[in-house]
Amino acid sequence: MRHRFQIWLAVILCWAAVPGAVLAAEPVQTAEGFVVPQPGTRFLFPRDHGSHPDFALEWWYITGHLTETNGIRYGFQATFFRRATPRTETPGSATQAFGDQQLHLAHMALLEVQTGRFRHQERIQREGWNASTSVNGLDVRNGNWSLRMLEPVASGGRAPMELRGGIRGEVAFRFRLEPVKPLVVFGTNGVSRKAVEPTAASHYLTFSRLRVSGELVLDGQGRSIQGEAWMDHEFSSSQLGRDQVGWDWASLQLRDGREVMAYRMRRSDGTTDPFSTLAWVGQEGAVSQVGSDRFGWETQGQWRSPTTEAVYPAAVVLTAEDPVDGRRRRFRIEPLVAAQELTGALGGIPYWEGACRVLDESGQEVGRAFLEMTGYAAPLQGRL
Amino acid sequence: MNRNTTSGSVPSGVLPMLWLRFSIRHALQSPLQSVLLVVILSLGVGVFFAVRLANRAAVASFQNFTDLITAESDGLIAAPSGMLPETVLGELREALKDEAVQIIPVIETTATLPRVSDDEAIGSRSTFQVLGLDLIAVQNLADRRPANRQWLANPGSPAGGEPDSSDLRVQARRLWESFRDPHSVFVSPRLAIRQRLVPGQEFPLVLNEAIVPLRIAGIIPTDPGQPEAPAELLVMDLPAAQRWSGWTGRLSRIEFVLEEGPDREGRWRRIRETLERLALLGPGGIAVGDGISLAPRWLVGSPADRRQSGEVMTRAFRLNLTILSMLALVVGVYLVFQALDGAVVRRREEIAILRSLGIPPGLIQRAWLGEAALLGLLGGSVGLLLGWIGAQGAVRLVGKTVNALYYATSAEQASLHLGEAVLALVLAVLTSLIAGWLPARAAAETPPAQSLGRGHGTTFTGPRWLQRTDGAWILVGLGFALLVVPPWRPEAGFRVPIAAYGTAICWTLAAGVLGGAFLKGLARVLARPALRVSHQPVIRLALSVLREPTGRHRLAVAGLVCAVAMTGGMAILVGSFDTTMRGWIERTFQADLFLSSDGAQSASTENRISPETWRGIASHPAVERSQVIQASRLQLPEGETMLVSSDLAFFRDYAKPAWRQAPQDDRVFDPRNNGSMALVSEAFSERFQKVRGDRIRVPTPVGMQDLEIAGVFSDYGNERGSILVDRPQFVRWFGHELASSLILVLRPGSDIEGVRAEFRSRHPGLAVFTQSYLRAEALRIFRQTFAITYALELIGVTVAVAGLAFTLVSVLWERRGDLTTLRALGLTRFELAAAAAIEGVVTAISGVVTGIVASLGLGWVLIHRVNQQTFGWTLETDWSWDQLLLLGLMVIGAAALAAWGAGRWGSRLPAEQEE
Repeated sequence: MRHRFQIWLAVILCWAAVPGAVLAAEPVQTAEGFVVPQPGTRFLFPRDHGSHPDFALEWWYITGHLTETNGIRYGFQATFFRRATPRTETPGSATQAFGDQQLHLAHMALLEVQTGRFRHQERIQREGWNASTSVNGLDVRNGNWSLRMLEPVASGGRAPMELRGGIRGEVAFRFRLEPVKPLVVFGTNGVSRKAVEPTAASHYLTFSRLRVSGELVLDGQGRSIQGEAWMDHEFSSSQLGRDQVGWDWASLQLRDGREVMAYRMRRSDGTTDPFSTLAWVGQEGAVSQVGSDRFGWETQGQWRSPTTEAVYPAAVVLTAEDPVDGRRRRFRIEPLVAAQELTGALGGIPYWEGACRVLDESGQEVGRAFLEMTGYAAPLQGRL
Repeated sequence: MNRNTTSGSVPSGVLPMLWLRFSIRHALQSPLQSVLLVVILSLGVGVFFAVRLANRAAVASFQNFTDLITAESDGLIAAPSGMLPETVLGELREALKDEAVQIIPVIETTATLPRVSDDEAIGSRSTFQVLGLDLIAVQNLADRRPANRQWLANPGSPAGGEPDSSDLRVQARRLWESFRDPHSVFVSPRLAIRQRLVPGQEFPLVLNEAIVPLRIAGIIPTDPGQPEAPAELLVMDLPAAQRWSGWTGRLSRIEFVLEEGPDREGRWRRIRETLERLALLGPGGIAVGDGISLAPRWLVGSPADRRQSGEVMTRAFRLNLTILSMLALVVGVYLVFQALDGAVVRRREEIAILRSLGIPPGLIQRAWLGEAALLGLLGGSVGLLLGWIGAQGAVRLVGKTVNALYYATSAEQASLHLGEAVLALVLAVLTSLIAGWLPARAAAETPPAQSLGRGHGTTFTGPRWLQRTDGAWILVGLGFALLVVPPWRPEAGFRVPIAAYGTAICWTLAAGVLGGAFLKGLARVLARPALRVSHQPVIRLALSVLREPTGRHRLAVAGLVCAVAMTGGMAILVGSFDTTMRGWIERTFQADLFLSSDGAQSASTENRISPETWRGIASHPAVERSQVIQASRLQLPEGETMLVSSDLAFFRDYAKPAWRQAPQDDRVFDPRNNGSMALVSEAFSERFQKVRGDRIRVPTPVGMQDLEIAGVFSDYGNERGSILVDRPQFVRWFGHELASSLILVLRPGSDIEGVRAEFRSRHPGLAVFTQSYLRAEALRIFRQTFAITYALELIGVTVAVAGLAFTLVSVLWERRGDLTTLRALGLTRFELAAAAAIEGVVTAISGVVTGIVASLGLGWVLIHRVNQQTFGWTLETDWSWDQLLLLGLMVIGAAALAAWGAGRWGSRLPAEQEE
């Protein structure tokens, strides 16, 4: 597997060396005029941890598992979205403080595993004084929520980050996120394709394991926590193909120090799109990736949301060949609590995103995971 | 006699029986009298209730509109003067990064519909409040207030509704086109219905100096269970509102909404402390200044404070109106007193029988008081109905005054208010109980032995104090003594002339007593020549009665005196105001043309003229001299006032101010020397107790300014007062040149109308007034503010005249035995009616003459104490003799008619008819 990765790397470098030839084969822009991810793109850090406003859509996605010193467990999610607004002819009144070219959405969620209480909050802002992203490095703000890289230049882009977030006035947290493994770039030649349409692709950068420490204030009570998190940074101008209605995504952090990322693009007829992908991240950060024909995604049971009435799978079984020993592995991804739906009150897109445990074939817990399931309340075609 | 002990032995059912058999039976037997009493009381209560409801509606229309769109915020900040720069937003966000609080910037301005014709009166078009909010960020408040906040998916918007995914991108583009369009405006459902507005429709409005072709983007969503947005509210996206208001980069205020969570109070306290600390630091949180010259960049308040500011602004006006509204009720007290006392006299035989049967005096007293309370309750109830109907008319009159003097209000309806209804009802019952107290005591004191026949002994003698002229003179003296007492100042910037009202009460009461004495004297004086001239029995009869006036006559005179004195006093005040205003208007409006935004339709207009426009106008070849006026609201620790700037030399030359304290030298008019000097209006001087030579500290965006008051001038434009500084100072402090108005002096020989027409066609969003038009309009607006005063006076006088008729009816009833005798002696009914009419006219003359004398005193007190202490306006006294004469003649004429009618009725009374 490592061998294959080295070949990809060579291809990336090769494409980067002759970008003109590659670019000629790929659309450069979407119909709306936004940039399409190009193979061979060379990422420069810390700049590329920051924002890419030429792309229509971008997110910084952190999910993780936390533990108090007394063993109490939590799951958390903190996501910052940037969405370019449609380009129109109308000359607006936008100012620097009240812009209208970018929308900034953010979602925060916290699961108290013991009580099963799941809280979440969504925010939407226009670009300006109260929400912004930096094009120079990781510095994303939405109201009093923020994510920024500390000392980014000195560390060459792998510096610790600070995440400030909360849920209404009930939950507040300030975490230090420290990458314990190198950044990985998913996809082929720097582009993660999602559909047959060449525009449905993203640049997909991930810190697959971050050490989390900091303070969680819950209902006015501060508590010290530690844990592990996963962070995706993805930017694109279209995430879905014409026939796709949504996707399922999972990130597994295995106890053996490896991670698995898998997504299944779902088509309107219920089948899995061939552009679905599973990737293993080795202990040292090496990535090996397989297509939809090389892994299985089976859903088990159902859970109906009382809020949106969407019916989600209750658990997922992931099967794939282990790149280390070639053995077929079977992981059951089991939500710690069923009710972990973000209801999409502001963004209009309800989805399920929750903390899970990972069980192997023998029922042993071998890791922790986060599972995301979108497009169950309504098809997402044309929205992302 | 121990009434309590005696009444203790009486069975508990006696009191209801007394009411039933004794009071209610009598009321039913003389329905006319009962109805009249109820009507008088209900009129009094109705007027009071109507005014209170109208006041309430006018105050309620001044609201924090943001609440309707967002949620009630936990607090807000606003600059003590001028606007807040939007750069503070980032600073606030950083300082509050640990707080779960939504920071909501707000810009508020005003707009009006464009004029339809060129000769429209000022204030004839209603003023819209335009609220600029970040329409994307307000959706975050859905957590706080789960409701329809979907502005961008507003059903009314062209791109609204549930989108179909097939053309979702097209719809999204349309939606954003609409959102980005600076002409997009959201209107209330109420306005949409009233003016048949639909999304996509053009909706041109006057904003600042231009007619802006706005377009309806949607209808303001109404939350379930929340009040609908008022018709005058318009909402725009914040940067668009900033653009049209001319305040790009500035904000009216910033509101704070805490997100849901524990310890709300503690969290707001923490935020408040941070805000207060930051306010005293320079931009970027750096401490600047020496601590003395430092002005807070903003003041921290609450939406309640903001809502209250409407209440505070109009408090003095409303208090005075409420007091005036009680005129009819005060007059009513005399009548109820008279009626109940008359009833005691008439039913004295029954009371004596009851006493003989062992009913204790205490119980009789309670029965009478119960009857009075019942009367109050009935009158009050009918009054509530009358008041509520009257309030619908009064609200427009009150609204006009509030619009002209304080802030834009479009209150058109007065809603019922339980608290006010209870207050009015309590007042009605109390009035009745006060009026019934003495008659009840008289009834209780009726001895059993006095169950004798009717006769002169049963004639109503009235309260003894009505004959105590010495007591009256003491009251007059006390009134004079109270004149030297300063007003009560319960809080900064607000004063109540309690002592002056005390003087008015003393003098009105005294005049009532002296009126009775005057009646006796007048009858005697008239009797001699009248009898010498004519031996007509009619005249003899009328005057003989009045030579020894009964208590009832005295009371009727007192009631009339009260009504005439109060009405006459108000007439003198209004006349003086009118005279003073005319002089002031003529002095002040000396220039040729006066320009302002055509949207300036109320005192609270936010519309301005841009410097490009006013410079262009001022450089017109026909303009010889121009004057730019800039103004800003100013929040001082003692209250809100106005900071106005103009060319002070121009002000001296063309506004020709009437000085209360003239500047001692010309330094204040010299731009080289007046940097730290100001002129203040008399209202300011009175309200903030500052006089020439005192210093005032004015917070401005560039720090605290320490100014010396160089002079105090008369100004009747507003009662909040104003500080006038030279314009260069203002521009330096506030950093803008947006003008409130522009005054032009044209070159001699210029065609004023022609120049005016040219400006109007070039700037359709500007109002361009000539001197004569503006003078006439100013006077019209001023007179319009007194419309409600006239209505209240009319009702007061009507009640008093009705009271006189009522008195005569009672007097004739008591003398029905004599009337029978007179008829037997050959007097015709006509002659009897004529005698009653003469009796009524002479009584009315006494009331009118005494009332007018008293009104001179009251007028003086109203002008030089009540008005001066409340509003800080010195008025030139105009005794308004013509008005007083007219009032006197009207009252006497009405009294003659009423007395004639009463006489006709009396002449038909059977001798032995029972009540």
